[in-house]
Amino acid sequence: MNERSRVTNGLREAITYEPDNSLKKGYSAIFREISKELKANRWLIFQLFKRDFLAIYKQSFIGIMWAIILPLVTAGTFVVLNGAGVFNAGSISVPYALYAVLGIAIWSLFSTGLIAGANSLVTAGALITKINFSKKSLVIASMGQIVLSFSIQLCLVVVLLAYYRFVPSAAIVLIPLLVIPLVLFTLGLGFMLSLLNSILRDIGNMLSVLVTFLLFLTPILYAKPTAGVLAVFTTYNPLYYLVVVPRDLALIGTTSAWNGFVLASALAAGIFLICLIIFHLTETRVAERV
Amino acid sequence: MLYGLKDICRNTVGLSSRSDVLREYEFWAVNDVSFEVRRGESVGIIGPNGSGKTTLLKMLNGIFWPDKGKITVRGRVGALIEVGAGFHPMLTGRENIYVNAAILGMSKAETQAKFESIVEFADIGDFLDTPVKHYSSGMFVRLGFAVAVHCEPDILLVDEVLAVGDEGFQNKCFNKIGQLREQGMTTVLVSHNMTAISNFSEKVILMDKGIAHHFADVADGVKKYHDLFKNYGDATFKKINSGNENITFFDESINARVLCPGDPFCISVEYDSVLQYNDVKIELVILSSHDPGAYFQATNQAYGKKIDLPKGRNRLTVAIEDIPINNAMAEVIIVIWTKSNELLLWWRIPVEFKGMIYATGNNFLKARYEIEAAQ
Repeated sequence: MNERSRVTNGLREAITYEPDNSLKKGYSAIFREISKELKANRWLIFQLFKRDFLAIYKQSFIGIMWAIILPLVTAGTFVVLNGAGVFNAGSISVPYALYAVLGIAIWSLFSTGLIAGANSLVTAGALITKINFSKKSLVIASMGQIVLSFSIQLCLVVVLLAYYRFVPSAAIVLIPLLVIPLVLFTLGLGFMLSLLNSILRDIGNMLSVLVTFLLFLTPILYAKPTAGVLAVFTTYNPLYYLVVVPRDLALIGTTSAWNGFVLASALAAGIFLICLIIFHLTETRVAERV
Repeated sequence: MLYGLKDICRNTVGLSSRSDVLREYEFWAVNDVSFEVRRGESVGIIGPNGSGKTTLLKMLNGIFWPDKGKITVRGRVGALIEVGAGFHPMLTGRENIYVNAAILGMSKAETQAKFESIVEFADIGDFLDTPVKHYSSGMFVRLGFAVAVHCEPDILLVDEVLAVGDEGFQNKCFNKIGQLREQGMTTVLVSHNMTAISNFSEKVILMDKGIAHHFADVADGVKKYHDLFKNYGDATFKKINSGNENITFFDESINARVLCPGDPFCISVEYDSVLQYNDVKIELVILSSHDPGAYFQATNQAYGKKIDLPKGRNRLTVAIEDIPINNAMAEVIIVIWTKSNELLLWWRIPVEFKGMIYATGNNFLKARYEIEAAQ
């Protein structure tokens, strides 16, 4: 395995590259390395984020409004289907449009975040093989776009709240905090998938299909089923808790799945840390094969 | 693909990736290369395509980690490997400067402090605020180079990008790099341009199929590089035409096969002829391995010298006084035509020209030095 070590030697730090077992140094050293790298690269992350943002929205008339279109269209379809009786969402105590839009907005954090993260290294492939810079910054910057889109989608939710004259619970202002576990979860998986995708391009291609599949399997657009295989699956599906609980707390004020949410958050934090470490240990391999 | 997966899994679990063993279909791109570069030195890396030069440079940059051995780097590393790294065509030049600078490792404060200087160096005027996709390739390269050069690293790695932009800009780049070198910057340059290598490097590493040869004398290294391309398997006398039914040329004698620049080259050849040939054209062409395609030429017609080949057994001698070729392999071709353009003789003779000490140029000229008291 490959190891980086920084030793302060007089005025200049020496960097050593050699094949070795990095884990022999211990996790504390790795954590220090990672946090140092992230701290040093805040400006780079911002610049990468700004670059992608400007690239998408320049020469675009609709511009930022694109962030709203996808959830609007998806949710809108289901609103229509629900209203027509074709699709039975189950018993839902809030206006279905609000339920669907907020649910999709939070879900998009996961779905688009995962795809963006998985593709972040591949799209910057040419750069990675020529310049040595922090690859974590690429993945984090891609997530930044998604978080920005989410904030814009929240504005849409506010518009809908006004339209339906629906008063949400006070907890709605806590939404930015409540979605943090989901963001960590997505970021962690994004690190892992970006690594694998750079070697096996199949993963990136499969991901959008997989994510759509998961959307239908997770009760976001419909109430939680009470019986059957799906009910069992849902009980153990962390995505369910991470997406639905913030929505329930925001709209209704109480939720029955709080314990599940806490467990899922712990899982999310764990996955984030593990994937971050794995990424750190193996990121140079990407330059060899991307 | 499978090797990549395997490597990642092994690294993750904490096993050593046993990278010092070659697997099937793998080969050593850089094999057992060791060297030391001290602060302020400059090294040139030369070699044929595919010899491992860029891979070595990327390892120094930290893009690839070695599978065997150790690399220690002290100081900030800057690379002129890809000009305009991270440039996005939709962004303006101004915005791209910030992106590029951040990717190259410059902090926010540093970028802002050097911004004016970068803009002035690039010298693209109002185009700074137009999207980069509208730039000409020259402007693109000027902007990219301007940012890269302002990175002011302790160690500069350059990969064959010195020949960019127009002449004015090239000079600006060389001057700036020279300035940084005076401040103690170390340079590692990879190039196929031997003039640049000779001007820039204090020592040379010649890469060939992953193996490195070290030369403390740059001229020596450059010569070995040229030798790699010479298939001197036919470094023998080649006689394409030695006469016709009336005349035969034989028994050549050459004063030396290894010469120094400035030495005379003298070839004399005996012939036996039944006829007398009047007003023949004799040409000597010298091809140097430095500049394939260009050649030196001596022909008797240029001097208005009429030469007749009397019949019988005679000896013809042609001499050139002062061949300035420095440190190269050369071929001397002697050709004789009759007045009616019939080919009588066509011989090719390989000659080696040794290097003149302290001179790295392709051709060596003698100069006269004088000092007089001035009143």
